[in-house]
Amino acid sequence: MEVIVVENLVKKYKDVTAVNGVSFTVKRGEVFALLGPNGAGKTTTIHVIATLLRPTSGRVLVGGFDVSREPGKVRRLVGVVFQEPSLDNQLTAYDNMYVHGRLYGLRGRELHERIMEMLDFVELKEFAYKQVKYFSGGMKRRLEIARGLLSNPDVLILDEPTIGLDPQSRARVWDYIRRLRSELGITILMTTHYLDEADELADRIAIMDHGKIVAMGTSLELKNMLGSDVIYLRFAQPVTESVCREFSGVKDCRLLKDAMVELVVENANKLLPEVMKVVVERGLSLQEVSYRKPSLNEVFLHLTGRELRDSLETPQPVARRWHR
Amino acid sequence: MYRDLSPLVAMVYRQVKRWMGARSRLVSTVLNPLVWIIFLGLGWGSVFSGTSFSRLPTGIPVPPGLSISDMIQRYFNTIFGGVDYLTFMVSGMASMTVFMGSFIGGLSVIWDKQFGYLKETLVAPASRKLVIAGRILGDAIITTLQGLIVVLLGLALAGGLRLTGIPIAIVYLFISALAFSSLGVIIALKLTSVEGFQMLINLLTMPLMFMSGVFYPFTTMPDWMKVFAQFNPLSYTVHSVRYWLTGADVGLYPMSPVNDLIVLAVVGSAMLWLAGVVFEKTSIEE
Repeated sequence: MEVIVVENLVKKYKDVTAVNGVSFTVKRGEVFALLGPNGAGKTTTIHVIATLLRPTSGRVLVGGFDVSREPGKVRRLVGVVFQEPSLDNQLTAYDNMYVHGRLYGLRGRELHERIMEMLDFVELKEFAYKQVKYFSGGMKRRLEIARGLLSNPDVLILDEPTIGLDPQSRARVWDYIRRLRSELGITILMTTHYLDEADELADRIAIMDHGKIVAMGTSLELKNMLGSDVIYLRFAQPVTESVCREFSGVKDCRLLKDAMVELVVENANKLLPEVMKVVVERGLSLQEVSYRKPSLNEVFLHLTGRELRDSLETPQPVARRWHR
Repeated sequence: MYRDLSPLVAMVYRQVKRWMGARSRLVSTVLNPLVWIIFLGLGWGSVFSGTSFSRLPTGIPVPPGLSISDMIQRYFNTIFGGVDYLTFMVSGMASMTVFMGSFIGGLSVIWDKQFGYLKETLVAPASRKLVIAGRILGDAIITTLQGLIVVLLGLALAGGLRLTGIPIAIVYLFISALAFSSLGVIIALKLTSVEGFQMLINLLTMPLMFMSGVFYPFTTMPDWMKVFAQFNPLSYTVHSVRYWLTGADVGLYPMSPVNDLIVLAVVGSAMLWLAGVVFEKTSIEE
């Protein structure tokens, strides 16, 4: 049963194409992660799903409703936690929840109980009547998750749920996401540029780069693209793809960058001496050799020729802040 | 169709709660008019008073039974509508407070853009028109309260205000607050930077204020300024509120208590409607 269907989504801003033909589906009760570097088009994709942006072309359905034609119905089904904080700092945690609840059509005793239940879920009940401006980054994020859940949505959208959080806060948020899935069976669509986050939390992962999905599957399926081991050779001089012909016993070989070659092998320990011998015999010199068990980082490298870690600069500054 | 007013209530609640949470803003809204009243009102007040002419040199022929200071006093009383300058100015101050407060209220829309709160209201399954109307209503309630505080201050400082005129003056102030809050919100929705909005505030509010009859009467304005004043909605607020607070009926055609109400109500509804239209079309795409 598909809760979210995205077909050939394209989103252009003036001349920039942020999302370029993305298709995927999210099943009920699933945790689905869009993984990719900053600027890959993840946030734009979920903004379209959350009805904040209109698609340039393509079709997006949430709970069977088209986001362009029936945004009102989609909004009822979705709870959103944005990447950048969207709380009113001058209100208390309770009032932030209250205003949200009223906007989503809740009221009275039911609303009050629901607010307390959700604040309890994110362990903020004791801070209910404190102004949000005194909250730490982690507390704010937890409050936003509680707020996103207030209207009991079918789908919770989380945009970079742990960006900028300290390790303890991060672990807590992870824990909430796991509990949401196991205890409430809520469908979660999240974006992240943290490999471990996608690996730990998501049932399925779509890897995005330059506005496209380059691979999709479970974490295991993605890693299996690379077999059991991967050897990386960085040569001292530029080489071409033809260097691949020199090596025997490798499952796959490709040139990633100018002087970097990726070898997918069964057992790197055994094959490495053989590889080194070939390199020396051909008169090539190496700058660096490494081999790794494939993680999502290696998968990303395999697919894009870049390491996901490399493409991560420091987290983007959170908009511009002004002090009143 | 049954229409749930929840979004309206939610936003009024938010605006009022925010205001209550920020006490510094309350102080500044009272302090600012107080400065005007004390320095401009008291300072100029004695200039526009006949008593300061009592020690003028004699020798000017005057009709019997009158002194020069009496004549001058009579002149000032005519142009200020039968009240002294302090009373004249204080009765305009409430209108100015409401105008500035409402207009600047638009600033919070820009804060909301910067702090991401706008997105929170945009993804909610609530009528956009009701959301923005609630916000404007909340701002209008707050600024009307601020106006009331200034009226009460004026009551203490200037002698000529009528207690009985206050309730009806508040109605005019509230309708004006709706109009000017809407205008502030419309402008803010179109802008992205705080600096831009502040520049516009300076550019717009000062001329509108000076051409509204707050500080000096319409009758002595240059002709071109009178034309601007006639098309300035704030003039109608100033005229009507002054009328109800002091009884001074100093206005231009077509100002009268009834016409003022009509003008303000029409401008207010038009602005409110326009704010709704603009907010419907608002997206995070710039």
